[in-house]
Amino acid sequence: MVTGFGAAGGSPVRPSQVSRRGVLMGAAAICVSGAASAQAAPARVAAVDWAMLETTLALGLTPVAAAELVLFRSAAVEPAVPDSVADLGLRGSISYERLLATRPDLVLISPWYENRRAPLERVAPVESLAIYGLGSPYEAAVAATRALGLRLGRSEAAERAVAETEAELAAARAALAPLAGRPALVMNLGDPRHFRAFGHDSMFGDVLARIGLTSAWTEPTRFGAYPTVGVEALAGMDDAFVINVGPTPPAVLAGMRASALWSAMPPIAAGRFVALDPVNPYGALPAARRFARLAAGSLAAFARG
Amino acid sequence: MAERRGVAPWIVWSVLAALGVFLSLDGVAARLGPGADAVDHALLLYGALPRIAVAALAGAALGLSGALMQRALDNPLAEPSTLGVFAGAQLALGIAALAAPALGPLGREAAAFGGGAGAAALVLALGWRRKLDPVTVALCGMVVAMVASSLTAALILARGDYLFALLIWGGGSLTQDGWRASGAIAAVLLAGGAAAFALRRPLGVLAAGEASARSLGAPAPVIRIAALGIGVALATTVAAEVGLIAFVGLAAPTLARLSGARSADRTLLAAPAVGAVLLLLTDGVVRHVGSGETVPTGAATAFLGAPLLLWLLPRLVLADRPAETRAPRLLNVGPLLISLVVFAALALLAGLVLGRSDGGWAIATGDAFAELWPFRAPRVLAAAAAGAMFAAAGVVLQRVTGNPLAGPEVLGVGAGAGVGLAAILLAFGGAGLPLQMAGAAFGALAALGVMLLVSGRGRLGPERMLLAGAGISALCLAGLNAVIATGSPSAFALLAWMTGATDAVSLPQAAAACAAALVLTAPLAAMLRWLETLPLGDATARSLGLDVAAARLALTVLAALLTGAAALVAGPLSFVGLVAPHAVRAAGVSRAGPHLIGAVAVGAGLMTIADLFARTVIFPYQLPLGLFASLIGGAYLVVALGRR
Repeated sequence: MVTGFGAAGGSPVRPSQVSRRGVLMGAAAICVSGAASAQAAPARVAAVDWAMLETTLALGLTPVAAAELVLFRSAAVEPAVPDSVADLGLRGSISYERLLATRPDLVLISPWYENRRAPLERVAPVESLAIYGLGSPYEAAVAATRALGLRLGRSEAAERAVAETEAELAAARAALAPLAGRPALVMNLGDPRHFRAFGHDSMFGDVLARIGLTSAWTEPTRFGAYPTVGVEALAGMDDAFVINVGPTPPAVLAGMRASALWSAMPPIAAGRFVALDPVNPYGALPAARRFARLAAGSLAAFARG
Repeated sequence: MAERRGVAPWIVWSVLAALGVFLSLDGVAARLGPGADAVDHALLLYGALPRIAVAALAGAALGLSGALMQRALDNPLAEPSTLGVFAGAQLALGIAALAAPALGPLGREAAAFGGGAGAAALVLALGWRRKLDPVTVALCGMVVAMVASSLTAALILARGDYLFALLIWGGGSLTQDGWRASGAIAAVLLAGGAAAFALRRPLGVLAAGEASARSLGAPAPVIRIAALGIGVALATTVAAEVGLIAFVGLAAPTLARLSGARSADRTLLAAPAVGAVLLLLTDGVVRHVGSGETVPTGAATAFLGAPLLLWLLPRLVLADRPAETRAPRLLNVGPLLISLVVFAALALLAGLVLGRSDGGWAIATGDAFAELWPFRAPRVLAAAAAGAMFAAAGVVLQRVTGNPLAGPEVLGVGAGAGVGLAAILLAFGGAGLPLQMAGAAFGALAALGVMLLVSGRGRLGPERMLLAGAGISALCLAGLNAVIATGSPSAFALLAWMTGATDAVSLPQAAAACAAALVLTAPLAAMLRWLETLPLGDATARSLGLDVAAARLALTVLAALLTGAAALVAGPLSFVGLVAPHAVRAAGVSRAGPHLIGAVAVGAGLMTIADLFARTVIFPYQLPLGLFASLIGGAYLVVALGRR
C-alpha cells in the first residue's frame, strides 16, 4: 500500500530521540503498537486545508500533495513547502485527478471542506480536523497537532512542535514584557480606506493574549475576523498598537500613509503602526509561531524605548 | 421638478434631504462641542464631512448619468450597471491589481475608467448595426456585463486574498479619508452637467422621434452616443472613487419623472437632485444600521431598489417593436440534427476520457478510465444536463418573445437562484449542499414569481418581459456583489457557485440534474404547437384558436424552472441558453420540434466542452465552468450581432 518512503526519510524525528519524556514514550509506544497491529501509519499525506499542510510539515512529514501552493508560498510563507509537493489547484476547487495521481493514503481537510468529503474519500481515507469555530484557535491548533501526530504515528514530533511553539510564544512575551496588557489591533488593509479587523477569537487575537497584549477589536466577529472596517474605527483606540498583517499591496500601504485621516488617528499619529509580512490568518501552530515572532520583532523597538 | 399641481414632491424631497443630512450629521455636533479634541476635528474634517459631500455628489452624478442614458437609449431601465459599465470597471480594476499591484489611486481610477468606457463602447459597437435599438443595447449590455463579471470572479477566485480591495469595491462603500474623491467627482459632475445642458434640446427632440431628430442636423446615433459618453464618464468616475453603487442611476431619473419632471431638460435637472438625496439618505440610514460597515452603501441601494422596480415595471411604456426573424430555412433538417447530436455525444465522450496529467494530455482507457470516471462522470453529466436545460429554456423564450436574442440568463431567474443561495449561506454559514440547492431553487422561483407579477399585469409583452428580466437580473447581481463584498467564507462559496461549480457535484446530484432535464423538457413535446404558433404574432396565434396568455404563462413557468435547475449546477453567468437556440435557428432550423432537439444537443455539447476546458486549461488549477461558457457564448454573440 505504501509505495514510497522518500518523503518520510527526511524526517528529523527518530524514536531514539524522544527519551527525555517518559509519558511521550508511552504514548508513542501505544501508537506504534496500535499501528503495527493494524496498518502502517499513513506516509503519503495530501493536505487540502492549509492549516493541515502547516501541521503536517511541522510534524516533519512532507506531504505528497497540497492545495493552492502558489498562493500559500506568498500569503502564508511558512513553513517552506518543498518542490516535491504536488499542487492540487485552488482550495475551493481542487483537482481530484491530480490528487488521485499522487496516490495519497490519507487526505487531510477541515470542516470547511466537508462538502467535498465524498469524492475525496474515493481517493483515500479522509481526516477532518477543526481549528476554527470551536473557541480558542490556538488551543484547537494544539489539539489538532496532537491528533494528527497520533494519526501519523508522530506523537513525539507533535509534542515537540507544541513545545517549540510555546517556547517561541514565551520568548515573544518576554521581549514584549514592558508592553504587557497594552491593546493591539491586528488588521489586514484592503484598500487605503478599509481594513479587515481580527478579533480576540482569531488566531492572531489568541496569540496576542499569549504574548501579553490584548485585542483592541472588541466587536463580534465571524470566524474571528470582522470584514471591511472604516478608518474611523481607530479613533477610540488611543493607546493601541496597530499591526497590519500582509499580504497588502504596496500602493495600499502608501495610500494609507498619505491619508490625512489615517495620520490623525491617535495610534498612527503616535507612530504605533507596524506592517508585518504575510501570515496565514487561518493557519495552525506554524502560523501562530510566525505571527508571534514577526509581531514581537516589530514591536520590540517600542518595548525597548 | 415642481409643476403647477405638484407642490408635494418638492416638500417630500426637501424633507428627505433634510432627514439624510440629519442622519449623516449625527455625531458631528459632539465633535464640535467643548469636549472635542484634535481627533474629533480630524474625523469631522476628513471623515464625516467628505462622506456627506461624496454621497451627495456621487448620487447626483449617478442620477445625471442614468437620466442621460435613459434618454439616449429611450429605455427606462438603462443605467450604468445594465450597460456593463460597472462590470467593465470592476474587471479592469482586478487586472490592474494583479498586473500592477504598486499602481497608485490615480492609476486605479484610470483603469476603472478605461474598463467601464471599454465595456460601454463594446456594448454600443454591438448595438450599432441595429441603430442602437434599446432592446438590443440592453441585451448587449447584459452580455458584456456577464462576461466581465465572470472574468472578474475567476480572478478573485484565483487570487482570493490579494483582491480584497476588489471585494470592498464591489460593495460600494462611501467611507472617506480626505477630500480627494469628492473633489474628483465634483469636477466630473461640473463638466458633465455643462455638457448635458448643451445636449438638452437635441435629447428632447430625440424623445419625440428619430425623424424630427434628424432635422437638428445631427444624426440620432451621434446625439445618443454623445449623451451616453457623458453618462459613462460620470458613472465610471463614481465607480473608481467609491465603488459599485447600483440602482441610483436607475431610480433617480424615474423618481424625478414621477415627481413631475416630464420633459427631457427637466429630468436632466431633477434627476441629479433626486440622486443626491437618495444616496445621502441611504448612506445616513446605513450608518445607523449595525456597526462599522455592516451593510455597504452600494448594497443598501440595491436592496432599496427592489420595491421601486416592482412598482415601476408594470407602468413602463414600451413600444412593441416587430421582431426580425429572417433566418434562412433548411428544407431537410435531418442531416444537421444528426450531426448536432453526434457533436453532443462526442463532447460527452471527450469530457469522460480526455484529461491532463503531469506529462500532458492523456486519453483514459481501461484501468485508468475505471479509476477516473467516478470523478469525471458527475461533472460531465451535470454540465450536459445544465446545458440542455438552458438551451430548452432558450428555445421557449426565443419563441415566446419572438426575440432571437432572448435567453434564460436574461430572465433574472438564474441570478434569483443566486440570491436564494446567498440567503442560505448567510443564515447557516457552512450549510450542506441539499440546503444550498433548496435555497437556490426557492430564489429562482421567487425571481420568476416577481417577474411574472410585474410583467404579467396587462399582458406579457415580449419586450416588457425581457426588460423586466434584465432589470431583476441586474438587481440580483448587485445584491450578490454586496454579499460577496463581505469577503467571508460564505462569500467565496457564493463566488464559486456564480462561476459554475461542477466539480462539487456528486453522482446522485448529477443524476438528479439529468432527471430534472428529462422531466422538465418532456412537457415541451406536448407544447410544440404553442411554440410553433406564438412567434407568428398574437393575432395569428389567436386566430388559430390559441389562448395566448395561458400558453405564454405555462411556457414561461417551464422555462424558469429549467433555468433555475440549470443554474444550480452551472451558475447564472453562462450564455448557452441564448447561444444554442440562436445558432440552431440561424442554421436554418425553423420548426419547433427540430429547433428544440438541435438546441438541446448544442447546449449539452457546449456546456460539456466548457467543463472540459475548465478542468484542463491550466491544470491542476481549475477555472470556473461559467467562465468558459460565457466566453464561448460571448464570442458567438459578438460575431452574430456583427452579422445582423
